[in-house]
Amino acid sequence: MDATDATGVLAKARQGDSEAFRLLVEQHSRRAFQLAYRMTGNQQDAEDVVQESFIRAYRQLSRFEARAHFATWLHRIVANCSVDLIRSRRSRQDHSSMDDIAPVEQPHSESPDPERLAESSRIERSVATAMAELTPLERAAFTLRHYEGRSIAEIGKTLGLGTSATKHSVFRAVRKLRTALEPLRGES
Amino acid sequence: MKHYTEEDLILHFYNELGHRKDVDVHLDQCEHCAASYRDLARTLRLIETPEAPERGDQYGLEVWQRIRHRLPEQEVPWWSVWFRADRLAAAGAFAVLLLAAFVAGRWWSTATESTQTAAVTPVTSQAGAASPIDEDARHRILLTSVADHFDRSERVLTDIMNAPAGEDISPEQQWAEDLVVTSRLYRQDAADAGEHSVALVLDELERSLLEIVHSPSRATAANLEEIRRRIDAASLLFKVRVLGDELRQREHLDSPRRRTLSRQTS
Repeated sequence: MDATDATGVLAKARQGDSEAFRLLVEQHSRRAFQLAYRMTGNQQDAEDVVQESFIRAYRQLSRFEARAHFATWLHRIVANCSVDLIRSRRSRQDHSSMDDIAPVEQPHSESPDPERLAESSRIERSVATAMAELTPLERAAFTLRHYEGRSIAEIGKTLGLGTSATKHSVFRAVRKLRTALEPLRGES
Repeated sequence: MKHYTEEDLILHFYNELGHRKDVDVHLDQCEHCAASYRDLARTLRLIETPEAPERGDQYGLEVWQRIRHRLPEQEVPWWSVWFRADRLAAAGAFAVLLLAAFVAGRWWSTATESTQTAAVTPVTSQAGAASPIDEDARHRILLTSVADHFDRSERVLTDIMNAPAGEDISPEQQWAEDLVVTSRLYRQDAADAGEHSVALVLDELERSLLEIVHSPSRATAANLEEIRRRIDAASLLFKVRVLGDELRQREHLDSPRRRTLSRQTS
């Protein structure tokens, strides 16, 4: 889909054309899933977030400014849906256990060293556990900064926070992660 | 020699601090800061970006199949109410009537005082006919804005409900402070628009937000307990959530009713 097509598809989708919206869903689902997975750390949650995000996007298409990029706008919706989902899970005291957090599959090297793999897997579990202890906002801000490489300004805009509040969320997340990963530091 | 704080070093790690060269020069010269930075960077480099499980080419289609029957009605932008055919017709008719009344007024101005009064009266009554349209748009904007405001407030309240004692809550306080100002404006607008239950919840919300703002940034367990008690006592989170949803539903439900009303009055 080139830029002209994309503009046309968006315009139709905004007029309620569900076929045009289907094209947008098909085009952006994989990227949305990737972000949702990093935000939630869980496949099933990521699937829920993707679906909820597209439903929310469809409802709010009239608020979308034609000058903006649909991908950027959707990115914001996915991030906020993820925050909402993590929050609702917590408010139901349904904390993710270690088993719920899918061990992250890293690409294997050509000659996998079992010891190295075991260590890598242990680090991943520790990181997943430490991430699960962050508040939803801290987790979101850290994920967007560390994994997604978004600037503080972009993160603030995405999460509806001021610059100072965004920075503090990142600081607190880093501090908590440092404490949680302290035992691993000497070994790395 | 001035040392960099942990926060500065975190920003430096993420290229967010600015004057990068100065910091690098300092880190070359100051073993204390260099050691802190190495330690921080080592931890952050342990945290590798997780690779999401692969999704095939058909994934987008699968998502579409799952959501297609759940797609809600699209929100209508507030300005689009002015561009609906029936509204344009009403506005056109109103403009013609206004012009006619103006011409009539000019013509009658040469006549007696009592005749002038008679000529002006239809203008006033016709002008009154435009107000439901105007009011409709304003009302819809108010509903949308307050619903968004409730969403944002819910986040702050939830964060406070989950915050551990002794943790720095200054980001939530800054956020709450911004929300207090907005809350006041919306409360006044809601009261003016006759939305008294909304105004009441906004009033309760404002009090809890103020309490958050005026708490110590490192709130003790007792401070947090007091805030939570007030939030719980007013069932504030529940009200904010339910009323927010209700307002969003009303955005859609109100428009046909109000459109009918505006047709009847025009």
